Amino acid sequence: MTPRRAPKTSKDIAVVGWAQTPMVRQTDLTEAQMLLRVITDALAPLGLTRADVDFTCLGSCDYITGQAFSFVTNLDAIGAWPPKRDSHVEMDGAWALYEAWLRLHEGDIEIAVVTGSGRSSTGDPALIYPMEMDPYVLAPLGADPVTFAALQARAVIAAGLADERSMAEVAIRARGKGTVEELLAGEYVREPLRRHDLPPVTDGAAAMVLAIGDRADELVDRPAYITGFDHRTECHNPAFRRLDDSPSTRIAAAEAGLGNGRVEVAELQAAFTHEELLLHHVLELDDDVKINQSGGALKANPIMATGLCRIGYAADHILDGGARALAHATSGPCLQQNLICILEGPS
Amino acid sequence: MPYGVVPNRSACAVTRFVESTITFPYKRSLGPVLGAFMTALTEKRILGVRNGQAILVPPMEWDPATGAELAPELVEVGPAGTVESWTWVPAPSEQHPLNQPFAFAFIRLDGASTPLLHAVDVGERASMVDGMRVAPRWRGRRIGHITDICCFVPGERPEVDGPDEGPADQPVELMDYLALITYRSPIPVMADRAREASLQNRLIGLRCPTCGRVYVGGTGMCPIDSIEFGPDAEIELPHTGTITNFVVVTPVQYPGQTETEPFARAFVLIDGFDVVLSYQPVIELPVEDLRIGMRVAAVWASAAEEGDRLSGTDQPLGNLIGWIPNGETDVNDPDLVNRVY
Repeated sequence: MTPRRAPKTSKDIAVVGWAQTPMVRQTDLTEAQMLLRVITDALAPLGLTRADVDFTCLGSCDYITGQAFSFVTNLDAIGAWPPKRDSHVEMDGAWALYEAWLRLHEGDIEIAVVTGSGRSSTGDPALIYPMEMDPYVLAPLGADPVTFAALQARAVIAAGLADERSMAEVAIRARGKGTVEELLAGEYVREPLRRHDLPPVTDGAAAMVLAIGDRADELVDRPAYITGFDHRTECHNPAFRRLDDSPSTRIAAAEAGLGNGRVEVAELQAAFTHEELLLHHVLELDDDVKINQSGGALKANPIMATGLCRIGYAADHILDGGARALAHATSGPCLQQNLICILEGPS
Repeated sequence: MPYGVVPNRSACAVTRFVESTITFPYKRSLGPVLGAFMTALTEKRILGVRNGQAILVPPMEWDPATGAELAPELVEVGPAGTVESWTWVPAPSEQHPLNQPFAFAFIRLDGASTPLLHAVDVGERASMVDGMRVAPRWRGRRIGHITDICCFVPGERPEVDGPDEGPADQPVELMDYLALITYRSPIPVMADRAREASLQNRLIGLRCPTCGRVYVGGTGMCPIDSIEFGPDAEIELPHTGTITNFVVVTPVQYPGQTETEPFARAFVLIDGFDVVLSYQPVIELPVEDLRIGMRVAAVWASAAEEGDRLSGTDQPLGNLIGWIPNGETDVNDPDLVNRVY
């Protein structure tokens, strides 16, 4: 028997708006407070209230928050009375969006809100992330993500896809400051990575509103239709992977139909400079595609919302008149799991 | 002062942060493949698993590409190997295996098809080169843990750090992993104000200007109307109420448990307001005498006790120790039992 599959493409589900909190090194707000504000900020310009929302899916991480079941507290932000359909992913909000997109395919509801939220400043990311590695052979060594990123950067450089100069250029484009010479004069954090190759520590949250069919058309002039959506994962241990490639990104892009037309902009979740160059190569993007005009994860890296923000910026391109945009989100060390979302305007 | 009115006080200007350290002392089952790998480490041997033509190190129970279960055909590799890639760690963290600067390296052990990540101790960065040969420095006392290898050192010959205490007596089936994280979290201003009020033996609530519901404990938002509260939402609550429900907890001993005898936690509906304080201690009341409908009054720490209750100042209800029967006649309302929130 052939299992019934959700459609891979649809002109029926669209991003109609989104909002993000100020992206700061450390916020005074709790995660629930950030979410309360950002959900209101996403809904209000559309003339919607929480009562109009049929489904919510929140993306957050207890390990970062430092509280078991922290997403329960975050429910205070969604207006869950009378009781609502709600879900949670212990993943970036981009995956919460994926779940909401699947849920909207059922066809019985019209509006969904998804969020991603995290206070990275609550703990020390350098000490927390090693604990999320393989618990038997990696976490006990304190194997940290910057070490793995450096090992991947070496592989990407060895494959001829990057060098320290082109990596510095990515950092300058993202943050709009410094010269290549200035940046290359810096010390290595983990050779070949210097401070500018690393993401900042950022607190923040994002919320996005999805609508189906006619409802989307009523809400905005140019809904950003999700016409392709897929995500794939690889083995957890980077030592068992080819680090100069990203096959999960390639498969997700093919399944999402990236090759069915040209995209004008691409928002890639590259927390490290070499990741942007590797993804550019794997996705075979033309040189005229505008990449990470938002500054990307190198400018603001609110863990658990960084990927959702990529989709938000890509949606902005459509809402503002663009035709086709690519958004990418990732999770895990060395681009372990990758998500591709294609957004298109009304034809 | 009548209930429902709070004197004007200026809002706290600066958000307070509190630091807390959480430990998760995990005990992990290793299973047949990693268990054999860890047991072999105590014997100063390193095992991989056959996957077709390849030998995976460390061994896995399944093919990383297909997920297919692998026959547990374990193969000894190394112990020496070749550095395939590396990065220098100039400032090690407390979690790293070495205190002094070292290299994290992908080491292809002789006979293995995949690299093993581990530390290489060479003293200085200039001594690291691609393709260098390294061998393990074993810990003298080995327990079946990846850190039974202290690190790798240049050369072909394994070393032992200190007296060699020999292999494990029995197969290693479990491993300990202590996760320890320190967090620094903001205390919302309204929560801090509620705590400060309770340090003055006052119980304040926050009344939602939209729906009129009252919240305690400094919950600075109405989760129903999705709005945040400021100080003007504060109201003074009475110090008497009725027990709506309770639970008797028989303590089991776990790290941090200080109770040894069964104790009660009660839910108290505050007089005149639709507010339930949940999970409240009861004072001078044997657990067998607790009843739904019992009338109780708040008990506050005296100034003398306050000094002994340092942790109390960080509790959301600060000086509120618990509730004591106030001698009034029980309330007879069969619906009370449903009020736990």
